[in-house]
Amino acid sequence: MNPKQEQLGPNHRFLAAVGASTMAPFWVAGAIVLLLPRALVGLKERGWPAREVLRQAYSAGNRSVLLVAVTLASVGMILVYHGGLQAQRVLGDMSPVGPAFIQILLREFGPTIVGLMVAARVGGGIAAEIGSMVVTEQIDALRMNAADPIRFLVTPRLIAVFLTTMALTVFGCAVAVASGAVTANVLFGVPHQSFLNLSMTEPGDLITGLIKAAAYGVYVPLAASWAGLSAGIGSEGVGRATTSGVVVGSLGIIVLSSVIGAVTFAFGL
Amino acid sequence: MTCPPDDAGTKGGLGDALGQDLDASRRGAASYQGSSSYEDGVGASDNLFRRTGRVCIEVLSELGAMAYLAGRSIAALFPPRVEWQGLIISMHRFGVQSMPLVIATAFLTGVVVLLLAAVYVRAYGATQLVGWAAGYATFRELGPVLIALMFSGRVGSKNTAELAAMKLTEQIDALRALAIDPYAYLVIPRLVAMALVLFALTLMGNLFAIVGAATTGELLLDVSYHTFWNSFAENVRLADLLHGLFKAVVFGIAIGIVSCRCGLSARGGATGVGRAVNRSVVSSALAIFVLDYLITYLLP
Repeated sequence: MNPKQEQLGPNHRFLAAVGASTMAPFWVAGAIVLLLPRALVGLKERGWPAREVLRQAYSAGNRSVLLVAVTLASVGMILVYHGGLQAQRVLGDMSPVGPAFIQILLREFGPTIVGLMVAARVGGGIAAEIGSMVVTEQIDALRMNAADPIRFLVTPRLIAVFLTTMALTVFGCAVAVASGAVTANVLFGVPHQSFLNLSMTEPGDLITGLIKAAAYGVYVPLAASWAGLSAGIGSEGVGRATTSGVVVGSLGIIVLSSVIGAVTFAFGL
Repeated sequence: MTCPPDDAGTKGGLGDALGQDLDASRRGAASYQGSSSYEDGVGASDNLFRRTGRVCIEVLSELGAMAYLAGRSIAALFPPRVEWQGLIISMHRFGVQSMPLVIATAFLTGVVVLLLAAVYVRAYGATQLVGWAAGYATFRELGPVLIALMFSGRVGSKNTAELAAMKLTEQIDALRALAIDPYAYLVIPRLVAMALVLFALTLMGNLFAIVGAATTGELLLDVSYHTFWNSFAENVRLADLLHGLFKAVVFGIAIGIVSCRCGLSARGGATGVGRAVNRSVVSSALAIFVLDYLITYLLP
């Protein structure tokens, strides 16, 4: 990373490596955050790229519906299965399973699992697409035609993925609740009326969940675009860009989830 | 768990007899489909039934291809001659290099679990249950699943990218021309390494998750380390830990099979590598959640 590193002694080289790997996450986070104003400025200059946003929303949203449905259905079944077993063993009373499941799903698991799936499916797709554009010099071609690649590529993806992540989160939570209700009914004989009960859910849970979904919706396309735009050379470069798009996206989601969770908890939500 | 083909009609897979059969069936399945590139919308002749049927056939043919890959790999294990060098290099690259990522993920998982329990602690004052809840949830479910998701994002996709690049530059064909079985030489070390490494990483990640949970309890909830530890040590059983570790091994094998298959069936230049990596991550995630449900349900 540092050209001076060659001249350093072994001890210094070790320290330089430690420093570089400590700084790396912050460099990446900074680069991703800096993409946000650059993408939004394009919106102000040239208006709403409606066609491109719709196209991206189709490929990000409609094509992830099946994945989100299958994943969130399994999550709902798993959570209710565990909750039901514990309630049977500890409480002997199955009535809190549904309300507690819905509260935890809306607050944490719905947004976060949908976010992880969006990071894998959509974020990986964006990183691969932009990465292969970088490798085949299409970004340079855009720049040569005086088209800002960030406004041209990142802005529509940012808007589209933000909107579809919110929609997919709502859809995913609905699927998980439905699969959880069926699981509770079939395995533990809990009637749907007592399962679908919002007595434990407070407005704060819903607000926390929505803040998380919104944050993931902004973060994932930016991280994926950053990974794609910093792709290296050749087909290996595209592979590496896709990998780092997925990794940076999912790790960022887990970081955001705990930070937002801690902050909303501290504010008493 | 599926890797839908990108360009129908071109030859994919490893080019074995069965691989070609699969491609032929896929050609049949795709012959009435216009084009299936990422951006294209729904064609006029593309009704719901045709699409459903096509998706089903694609899913089944991919599952078959993965079963075939697993079978060939197991067959290559007899007589047992492991590529020790390849295995050790793979374990180093897969395991040691993803340790920081796994530690960060696990620690934050612990934080998140405790924040979820915090709502109940605040409402009912149930501090005696915090350690048990954190241990049970992370050991059985969250630890293995989240670590496996990060592992598939980093290691599985790296593996796919590598194999796809080898496939596209015809290095796999070169291996076969030298009478080296690509399954024994490339796939087996990776499968074994992923299973072993994910086991070890999950074991280590569990530790960091508990540390994260205990720290959050101390700092945010006023649950002292002592209370946390008592509740943890009294209520969490060895079976919970072993349940999660068994899951980790299964996930490791699944990620290995999916990522090798997606890498070896890549085609179409640099774009193809990106698409293969993306498919690999998505299919691994699906496989993880479906297998997680099956193991949770079937195993005590």
